[in-house]
Amino acid sequence: MKELQELARKLLNDGTVKVVIGYEEGTRGVRPAFITDAKQADKLIFDKRCVQNLAAYLNPRRKQVAQLGTPAVVVKGCDARAVAGLIREKQIERDKIVIIAMRCGGVLENPETDSELTSKTVSVRCGGCDVREPKLHDHLVGELPPEPPVNNHRVEQIEALKKLSSADRWSFWTNELSRCIRCHACREACPMCFCVQCTADKTQPQWIDPSATPRANRAWQTMRVLHQAGRCVDCLECERACPEHIPLGLLASYVADSVERRFDYVACEDPAVAAPLGVYKTDDDEEFIR
Amino acid sequence: MTHRFLSHASLTALVAELVAAKTRVIAPVHATDDPEQVDYRPIQTLEDAALGVRLTRGSLKEFFLPPTEVLLHYKQTKEGIEIREVPTVAPPQVILGSTPCDAAALEVVDKVMGWDYRDELWFGRRDASTIVSLLCAAMDSTCFCSATGLGPDSFRGSDALLVPVQGGYLAHVITPKGEALLQGYAEADENMKASAEALQGEARQKVENNLTAIPAEFSAWLASNFDNPIWKTIALRCHGCGACAGVCPTCHCFDIVDEHDTADEGVRRRNWDSCQTSKFTLHASGHNPRGSQSERFRQRIQHKFSIYPSRFAEILCTGCGRCTRACPGGMDLPKLLDELMTLAKTEAKGSDTQGSSL
Amino acid sequence: MNIYQPHLMRIREITDETVDTRTLKLEFQDSKVAEEFQFSAGQFGEYSVFGEGESTFCIASPPTRTGYIECSFKASGKVTLALRRLAVGDTLGFRGPYGNHFPIEEMKGHSVVFIAGGIGLAPVRCAILNVLDLRDQFKDVTIIYGARSVGDLVYKRELEEWAQRSDLKLCLAVDPGGETPDWKGLVARIPTAVEQAVSTAEDTFAVICGPPIMIKFTLPTLAKLGFPGERIYTTLENRMKCGLGKCGRCNIGPTYVCKDGPVFTAAQIRELPQEF
Repeated sequence: MKELQELARKLLNDGTVKVVIGYEEGTRGVRPAFITDAKQADKLIFDKRCVQNLAAYLNPRRKQVAQLGTPAVVVKGCDARAVAGLIREKQIERDKIVIIAMRCGGVLENPETDSELTSKTVSVRCGGCDVREPKLHDHLVGELPPEPPVNNHRVEQIEALKKLSSADRWSFWTNELSRCIRCHACREACPMCFCVQCTADKTQPQWIDPSATPRANRAWQTMRVLHQAGRCVDCLECERACPEHIPLGLLASYVADSVERRFDYVACEDPAVAAPLGVYKTDDDEEFIR
Repeated sequence: MTHRFLSHASLTALVAELVAAKTRVIAPVHATDDPEQVDYRPIQTLEDAALGVRLTRGSLKEFFLPPTEVLLHYKQTKEGIEIREVPTVAPPQVILGSTPCDAAALEVVDKVMGWDYRDELWFGRRDASTIVSLLCAAMDSTCFCSATGLGPDSFRGSDALLVPVQGGYLAHVITPKGEALLQGYAEADENMKASAEALQGEARQKVENNLTAIPAEFSAWLASNFDNPIWKTIALRCHGCGACAGVCPTCHCFDIVDEHDTADEGVRRRNWDSCQTSKFTLHASGHNPRGSQSERFRQRIQHKFSIYPSRFAEILCTGCGRCTRACPGGMDLPKLLDELMTLAKTEAKGSDTQGSSL
Repeated sequence: MNIYQPHLMRIREITDETVDTRTLKLEFQDSKVAEEFQFSAGQFGEYSVFGEGESTFCIASPPTRTGYIECSFKASGKVTLALRRLAVGDTLGFRGPYGNHFPIEEMKGHSVVFIAGGIGLAPVRCAILNVLDLRDQFKDVTIIYGARSVGDLVYKRELEEWAQRSDLKLCLAVDPGGETPDWKGLVARIPTAVEQAVSTAEDTFAVICGPPIMIKFTLPTLAKLGFPGERIYTTLENRMKCGLGKCGRCNIGPTYVCKDGPVFTAAQIRELPQEF
């Protein structure tokens, strides 16, 4: 942590950045920090409670953050993939941000209630992580902790869903989405949902009814995950943001799993690698066209 | 005011009676996705309920102002348009085991719903409901009901308030509706009243530690500090996601939209909306009076703690803390209020202000 | 019937004021409502196309003319475009009248200057016609109206009628470059037209409506002439939905445009937080 704090102090003092977006102790656990004063740099922390994907704050729509000036952002490897996505899709320029990547040994699924990393408490994303030492960075900080335990819960859920018939899967999601109140917190918290005008907000034409009805809820969530296919980094901010506790992360992970199987692609740290649904290749698989 | 005693068996029987009479009974139940959490749901027997465990994740709002509701049905015919009205008389319901912060919230929102134009959809459900709250003893450090002028044993908005005593509950019977529901039960004795008062006092003390009472001057300070620089930094971590508005018992802002069911038929609906969304105040011209999250967050605080009080003499907040628990960005309302109230006091003494540390 | 349920209106007449601005003359389908309906100049309503949604416009006709109401709008979004697709005889919805109104009663016995720019004439037209329908109860009436070009002037029928009257002073203007070869009016922006047409603020009310930038540059002219902020009336618009104070959307600080407005004095607007 000292290393991180000293780095932040230096970047602010020498004017390289105007704000360091990182993690700090909040009143209810760890929360995002916006350090603009080098003297406050010792607020920055990094530990297994640092679940949030701070790449969301780089979204250019967030005027009040953008107004602060050139940012440095503290990322885990998984978060770095979102930063790569924003660069790939030309939302931010690589040389206009400073990426402080943390060597990571996994984070807790529920940092508010758990404190030790076990196979039950570790985030479902951490098992098998290959970016514990992120490659996309300007600075690589911290010591490499041991590999995190593996939490198979989500993989099991996805396999169970795959085994269901189409009709049963439709019922499952209709039921889960019945609680959706169309607040769109999932969209607002998502680093990759940066559209100035979301398709769901368009009125001419009204592609998707804004009301919290079964058909509109299904349409909204389906549209969102499909717009995320190949772009979603599985950070689960959507699930964490949902005030109705809908397992949106399961839906997002399910689609990410489909993308991996079909296109042999996982949203990655290299901005130069194009996402499969954003690029046309003549040898694209066309077996689904019947 | 009468105080009656209901044994556990009596309460079980009462619930059974209500359900048999086709009255919907809503109570906190263990959540299906996380048994440690509770949500308000309809129950069939008292056994289904999880009374007094902890604060529910959502508020009572959805039973009075649904996330989406139909305002009218329309049909295009050769002659023109036919409108089919929606009923404004609601089926009877009893809320059992609500927290006083949720019950009070209903009375707070009554003010805007009755402002000049009476919202019959809201009041139809209000009139059809009897609210039997339960003393809140499971508050955590994020609760601050006492700061908003309420408390864990507040009577506001409830028709009766239950307090656990030996063998069952003492019921403070607050309104004629409460009396109508509980008139058959024996009066509570002095021991029960003393035991209940002790429990209530304990609960009040616990929550009073969390945040000092919001002073009457705070509303005016907010109004005259619309341009205070603190608004630029106080909400940097806010995603503008609106989760806070969804779980909040007093947030009531809504949208009105039309939807086609077929080419000729459809509905006009009212849907939950939130001032935190970017398009809440977006004009057709593209102009947006609140174009950044700092302005939108300022509106949230101003509406709840200044605008609503100035119009209705009520704070549009009952201190339940759900916004803070639900926030994915780590915003903390009681702490933020504390900071703003401190700033108000400091500025009154003429000191410098810096950006928010919160 | 709940407060969100509209009256059914039939379109009696359609007038295209300009290329993109249309006026609809509407009559209540329910004859009882038609008989009893009352409103004051400046109030607004929520007009709807069933299936598309509601939109907020002022009532553009005066309360002195009964049996119908009028609205004028520019097609700019989903609902207004749908309104343009309606024909004479079609049905739409109307909720209202909502909001406060111009102080017509207070203005009686005094002079009035009406200043409008572009489609801003719509809310003012209601007040002008209200005053002209009771002409002998007011002293001098001055109407100053301008637009970017001749093609942008609305209510051309009324403009011609007003030009024929000897009991009012009409000053029409178009921006430099907006005139046609046969244009007989002024070629000037509104503030200049006001300077030329208005000589005194004494015993006079001002009613002004138009694009924000026009208002911004005309208010100093009025101040110079001696109009106090309390005698200058204008209207504000904000995104609205319910129109009756419940949906929490249209406020500017503690002021609800749908309840405390849409008519405000310049003095009141000066006190508002700059959030509009």
